[in-house]
Amino acid sequence: MKSLVLFVQIAFVTVVIGLWAAVSRIGAVDPTILPPPAKVAVALEALLRSNDFLADSLDTVIRVVAAFVIGAPIALAAGFVMGENIGVGRSLSPIFNLVLSVPQSIFLPLFVLLFGLGFTEKLIFGITHVFFVVAVNAMAAVRQVSHGQVMLARSFGANRFRIYRSIYLPAMAPQVVTGLRLGVIFCIIGILLAEMYASRTGLGVLLLRWGESYAVDKLMAATVLISVATIIINETMRIWEVRVGRWRNVVENR
Amino acid sequence: MSLGRPVVIEARGLGKIYGIDRAPIAALKDISFAVEEGSFVSLVGPSGCGKSTLLQILAGLVPSTTGEVLVDGVAVRQPAPEKISVMFQEATLLPWKRVSDNVEFPLEILGMKAGERRQRAAAMLSLVGLSEFTERYPHELSGGMRQRVSIARALAPDPRIMLMDEPFGALDEQTRIKMGHELLRIWEKTGKTIFFITHSLTEALFLADIVLVMSHRPGQIVGTIKTDLPRPRTYEIIGSAEFGATRNRIWKLISQDDREVNGKGMASL
Repeated sequence: MKSLVLFVQIAFVTVVIGLWAAVSRIGAVDPTILPPPAKVAVALEALLRSNDFLADSLDTVIRVVAAFVIGAPIALAAGFVMGENIGVGRSLSPIFNLVLSVPQSIFLPLFVLLFGLGFTEKLIFGITHVFFVVAVNAMAAVRQVSHGQVMLARSFGANRFRIYRSIYLPAMAPQVVTGLRLGVIFCIIGILLAEMYASRTGLGVLLLRWGESYAVDKLMAATVLISVATIIINETMRIWEVRVGRWRNVVENR
Repeated sequence: MSLGRPVVIEARGLGKIYGIDRAPIAALKDISFAVEEGSFVSLVGPSGCGKSTLLQILAGLVPSTTGEVLVDGVAVRQPAPEKISVMFQEATLLPWKRVSDNVEFPLEILGMKAGERRQRAAAMLSLVGLSEFTERYPHELSGGMRQRVSIARALAPDPRIMLMDEPFGALDEQTRIKMGHELLRIWEKTGKTIFFITHSLTEALFLADIVLVMSHRPGQIVGTIKTDLPRPRTYEIIGSAEFGATRNRIWKLISQDDREVNGKGMASL
């Protein structure tokens, strides 16, 4: 069963790439709009050797990492307080949930006006992308903590620190990691968006420039590269998520 | 009502009022009783009469509004795990820990070394008949087995007193009866003092030396009954005339309370 699934998946990808190659070869589509896979592969190799491309990539990575490293802890702390403190949670959580449904991209022009075009604007835009999804998940995670288990730990003489470590942490971990995983993805979306909208450096501005100048082989090569990178990040985080949540998954799948 | 043994737990005029600022609700009122060393005392009462609140006060988890709890003559103001273990209705096993790690959990809090913990947990799991399940996770066990793990965990710190809050309330009747026997076996073997809360008259009577009968709103003790049934208890005892008569007495105490009989007068029964 598992090998069949894998077979179908490989077949699907092969067919898609094959179709793409065939369509370019027979000239059904203008090769300047859709270059053949081989040409994209060559462009990809050239990009990976290009110092300029690597410098732009590094800029983007630094922005993403900085936004996440600053945004995630603040969000975790805020989510924890909202989950633990019923009063704070009840008043703020509806606002957070509503904000989460607003497409944050609409704030970008405003951010540019407020913070300019440099690092700060992108950092703050990235942080807002990380913040809400991580905070809302952290809040939900705290609320899942079983009162009975906390009471039990107290009856065995556990102090506050021990209760956080032995009850809160493992109980919250699966949902918190889900939030962090989504946070990373949202963060990448936010940074690339900010770069594509207005920036001097970064992958986003390269994509925009190559698109506008019909450098489609480079555009597609970079697109593939970014896609693969985000998939790897997401799947790595998912492995972590499954690991800390194994006890929960087993219970649910019974 | 005495068995002639030293007193380990003494409740003196316990009262609990919730929501003092506005619309105070009296959950417990003037509760006094004594539990003697090594005895098995049941507390029976209707749902919502404050049984769980009383247990939490006895365990030092919740402060009482009036009165005090003495264990070995010392007032209980916070949990005293070296003397008292608590067991709740849901097994409250930690689902991310294996069975043996769950049993080790209280020992971990007490700061016991890993090797010693492992040994103690193995001994406790053997006592409750779960030696073959030490590496399993709680969700792999049946409800009855989970409660046995919970008993093993409560026994692990070797407390003298076990407070049990409807521990078998969520189990089906057959498992419940088996667990009752199991608990009596463990009690006889370990000599612990057990304070057992239940809403089942049969269970209360079957297990205990002394049954405390509680009324509701506010919860107060309306009767103390010495069971005087022979030990070891067998299932047949439940069908005996003596058992039936005593159960009827308890039932009367509980149902009379609905007709607003003065709690103070009943307490002398």
